[in-house]
Amino acid sequence: MTQESVAVELRGIGKRFPGVIANHDVDLTIRAGTVHALIGENGAGKSTLMKILYGVQKPDDGTISINGREVALRTPTDAIANGVGMVFQHFMLADNLTVLENMVLGAEKLHGIGDRARAEIRRISDAFGFGLQPDVLVEKLGVADRQRLEIAKVLYRGARIIILDEPTAVLVPQEVDALFANLRELRNAGNAVLFISHKLDEVLDIADDITVMRRGTTVGTADPRTTTKRELAELMVGSELPSPETEESTVTDTVQLTLADVTLADEFGRNLLTDVSLSIRRGEILGIAGVEGNGQAELVETIMGMRIPGAGRIHLGTEDVTHWHTRKLREAGIGYIPEDRHRHGLLLDAPLWENRILGHQTQAPNAKGPWINRSGARKDTQRIVTEYDVRAPGIDTPARALSGGNQQKLIVGREMSGDPVLLIASHPTRGVDVGAQAAIWDHIKRARRAGLAVLLISADLDELIGLSDTIQVILRGRLVGTFDPASVTPQDLGAAMTGGEAA
Amino acid sequence: MTTTTTTPGPVTRVRNAARANWLFIALGAVAVVSLVRIVTDTNDLTSVGTIRAAIIATCPILMAGLGGLWAERAGVVNIGLEGQMVLGTWGAAFFTYHSGSPWVGILGAALLGMIGGLLHAIATVTFGVDHIVSGVAINLIGVGATTYLAEATFTDLEGGGPRQLIGLPTPTTIDRIPGISGSAADLADKHWFFISDVASFVAALTTKISLLSLVIFALVVASGWILWKTSFGLRLRSCGENPQAAETLGVNVYLYKYVAVLISGAMAGIGGGFLALVASSGFSTNQTNGRGYIGLAAMIFGNWRPGGLLAGALTFGYTDSLRLRDTHAVHSLLLLVAVALIAITVLRVVRRQIAGAVAMAVPGAALLVWFLSTDSVPRDFTSMTPYVTTLFVLALGTQRLRMPAADGRPYRKGSAG
Repeated sequence: MTQESVAVELRGIGKRFPGVIANHDVDLTIRAGTVHALIGENGAGKSTLMKILYGVQKPDDGTISINGREVALRTPTDAIANGVGMVFQHFMLADNLTVLENMVLGAEKLHGIGDRARAEIRRISDAFGFGLQPDVLVEKLGVADRQRLEIAKVLYRGARIIILDEPTAVLVPQEVDALFANLRELRNAGNAVLFISHKLDEVLDIADDITVMRRGTTVGTADPRTTTKRELAELMVGSELPSPETEESTVTDTVQLTLADVTLADEFGRNLLTDVSLSIRRGEILGIAGVEGNGQAELVETIMGMRIPGAGRIHLGTEDVTHWHTRKLREAGIGYIPEDRHRHGLLLDAPLWENRILGHQTQAPNAKGPWINRSGARKDTQRIVTEYDVRAPGIDTPARALSGGNQQKLIVGREMSGDPVLLIASHPTRGVDVGAQAAIWDHIKRARRAGLAVLLISADLDELIGLSDTIQVILRGRLVGTFDPASVTPQDLGAAMTGGEAA
Repeated sequence: MTTTTTTPGPVTRVRNAARANWLFIALGAVAVVSLVRIVTDTNDLTSVGTIRAAIIATCPILMAGLGGLWAERAGVVNIGLEGQMVLGTWGAAFFTYHSGSPWVGILGAALLGMIGGLLHAIATVTFGVDHIVSGVAINLIGVGATTYLAEATFTDLEGGGPRQLIGLPTPTTIDRIPGISGSAADLADKHWFFISDVASFVAALTTKISLLSLVIFALVVASGWILWKTSFGLRLRSCGENPQAAETLGVNVYLYKYVAVLISGAMAGIGGGFLALVASSGFSTNQTNGRGYIGLAAMIFGNWRPGGLLAGALTFGYTDSLRLRDTHAVHSLLLLVAVALIAITVLRVVRRQIAGAVAMAVPGAALLVWFLSTDSVPRDFTSMTPYVTTLFVLALGTQRLRMPAADGRPYRKGSAG
């Protein structure tokens, strides 16, 4: 490795937030013309490090050199000026602006904001096969298109060092392949690509160099040609990754939930769900696969009584619950792990024991007649904290102070309380670390053995395949296929999810 | 690649369609008004005098709305517009009196409004105070400060008192434009269907109109151009849509928010200046009388866009001016609104929005019955009828409002990613 070929060199980077050390002693060397993967668990400090490299956060210690020259990146403007571009995990796009407007924002001086910019966008788009239309509103774009727009934005600014923060988290397998093709072209054009991920298959597929982070620091590097997934996993977590494998079937003959031809329309008469029929038996986990935004959220909200279907019936056991409202459904024994725990599952600034009451405010042990049973709720919260291994200083801690995994374990514990007959789990392990993930899988499997019917919605295809007894694919509000998890591959599912042929 | 790519239609065609739609709506509105005028035999409904009064009533609302547009496009909710307007009324009077020039007075109004805006910007942008709380505080401060300042500075002046200052010079008035004013007025007097109504409008715009009104209309166009056609405007709007994204692209979000709120205050201040110098015979305390809020409402109904805001302000201004003309006109207004509601009902039935159609049909029918069964609107109602009916039309007629995505949300630097 010669000195000229080093694009970025980080030495001894440290960053502290109040009460947390996000990064310490981070060393990272990225060569030009390579794809460099940075891997590590959630909370290992990858994102903070990237924000430092992009000038969003200022490091407390350490030095950054770009192309052999030490630089101070105080703002993203400094980073852009040094040829660093970043594609954030949560896209940094304004939905209500056009592709062109998002692209030229902050870089108006390069090619203006009119036809010259339009031509430049077309040029970049054609060069890398992005297929971007300058005058379309971003809200009309799908996830993969948005990501290509983000990459194009970086290129538009002339970046030679491109950071991608978990770019594959939102993509289906076919889209991942397309992204990797784009990345290889970028690499061949002489750019340095920093690829952040915790998906080891993908990393081994695309990377030229690998650096592993754990607990805020870099713990080692690996060569993707000689290393194995197992070795990477051990570097990342210190132990082999758990996998969500089901044991023998526990499916019974008793049907717990039936949807018959459920159709749901929005206020403008467009169908969000069309003729959805499914049934879940006791002891069965039904997985729903689909690209986000194809009706999963609406399906869950319909079952939970948050939306009333325009046509079709919903039965819980033998009872027709189509027009029941949410509280009655919950009292009838539906547990619900919402997809966004911050928006729907928790009051972040309320203590744990108050969060325990949420959604169960009419039931024992939380209520005594019309009054809240404070001591009952507190005692039961203590039980959940112990049984579900929620790591918290105490039950009076605000939910915000917990890590994502511990927040999720609290929700799982709460929803499993009071012996539910049906559990709706929407992305139950999204954004939680490997340890919490394994624990949550264990809880779902145990409940299944005890005869719980589970509707599992997830973007993690391995999770779906590993846990489910049956998998159905949802596409544009319709269930378009049923798969047996024992024989299906992620590629098959991906093809069905996008409505294409199997790759 | 088996990626899902959306295939959008040519956007320019959509934009042209939207423009044609606006023109269609405007012409339709004129036709409806014209029809009602002929049916009820209320020629005052579109007389030159009514339109002139409507323009004067519209201008302050328009400026308040424009102020709201600037701030909210940058993501700051400015309900302090009312207070900034009040400050503007005093500023206009004070600077006009001491300089002798109403234009200096208007600049003074803008300056005072800007001070109100600066307070709001410091509170909301720098200190992250809730925008509504800060806005309410500025409204209270505005009223209190002008009352105090008026008493302190106007009491001993000629034409002044503790609560007023009259006899100020006014901005230039364009008396007539030769060739247009006269013929348009003649045409308006013929009371023909549609043509005379349009002629009235032309006559009002070219005869005895304050230059400041024209400046205000120009400011609407200029604001639209700056916000949507310049890179400055793009950056400003990006702060209202996704400030984190703007930050990652090197936009100084705080700076743009400050600039936007200062301009917002200046606009509201000019609106206050118009009230003091053009719309009435001089300054008096609490002259704004809620116009700041109405401007904000017009902007919201106008979907945070200059064209829509202009339409909203014109509707408010028009109904407000009718109230001041005669009760017969207000009575005709009932039919006008009934017809408008029924027209929207039909539109919704065609689009198969049955619930929406019913929501429009019921008040429409009620107003029609009211109109047919009475000869006049009770005096107690006349003062509020315009507002109630305007609210009806705008609230029910507007669909799918789209506010800037990050409007009113706190933003902290370094929160991106």
